Amino acid sequence: MWTWFHQLGSPKWFYELTGRWLPWLVAAMSLLLLVGIVWALLFVPPDYQQGNTIRIMYIHVPFASISLAFFPLMAIAGTVTLVWKIKLADMIAKTAAPLGAWFTALALASGSIWGSDIWGTWWIWDGRLTSMLLQLFLLIGVISLRSALEDTDAAAKACAVLSIVGCINVFVIKYSVDWWNTLHQPASPITTSGEGPNGPEIWVPLVIMIFAIYLFFAVALILSTRNEILQRERRAQWVQDLVRTA
Amino acid sequence: MFEIQFASLGEFFSMGNYAFNVWSVYALFALFFVINIYFPLVRRKQILKEQKRRLLLNAEAEESRTGSS
Repeated sequence: MWTWFHQLGSPKWFYELTGRWLPWLVAAMSLLLLVGIVWALLFVPPDYQQGNTIRIMYIHVPFASISLAFFPLMAIAGTVTLVWKIKLADMIAKTAAPLGAWFTALALASGSIWGSDIWGTWWIWDGRLTSMLLQLFLLIGVISLRSALEDTDAAAKACAVLSIVGCINVFVIKYSVDWWNTLHQPASPITTSGEGPNGPEIWVPLVIMIFAIYLFFAVALILSTRNEILQRERRAQWVQDLVRTA
Repeated sequence: MFEIQFASLGEFFSMGNYAFNVWSVYALFALFFVINIYFPLVRRKQILKEQKRRLLLNAEAEESRTGSS
């Protein structure tokens, strides 16, 4: 078990494994994205109240829900960094922060554009919106903290601690819609029969989009982490060999 | 379930008067997608180029050092 754990922590092993996975991940992502977007734009019936703005949901919901995964991911990576000092964990944590900021920003922007007509306002200090904005600031905080500290190990430790503490906000985001009942709606119940308001014609394309965006998240994270590995491991023999043949 | 919801291309683009909202969100998504896939690939090329140059410089320095001694 421990050899497996340390093997998993080896940047070289990760680099080679993801090199083999990437084509498959990209293929699956492209296929799901194509199906999901065409379905969302052409085949989903307009909402009886919101009309065609329902199509925004197929971008907004996947990004918003996946953006909640970043702090837990960075906290797990941070814990591994603090306890086992595995370099790979910190490389993943480092590349996750900016990507998380992008995800959060897109969730906020798409929600704002959606709300501008349906709610009649671009912004409101509602529990969900405010806690998401806080997550964006926390992520910017993690990025700034890392760039402010020159020593790589010190930066890794500081960011690990901030990521673990920042996880609290994820619960606030998740339950904000139940705690404070203002404009943002709680999660909608889904139905499998044709009778409910949210039948398969609404949620099947949403599930496809969520998987597609998850794959996109994986691909983007892997691409940046591989760059980080090449830079930090530049003195390793295998990286030098790879650079020579590139 | 698989019925196209628009009668014409014009109707599709106008999105029932929500053209701005729907298309700007999809445009933001497209932009975001390109940035987060394309930039890491460009960066990778830069890194490989930079490190190759450094390796060559080091090898040259090594050669001239051993050559002069």
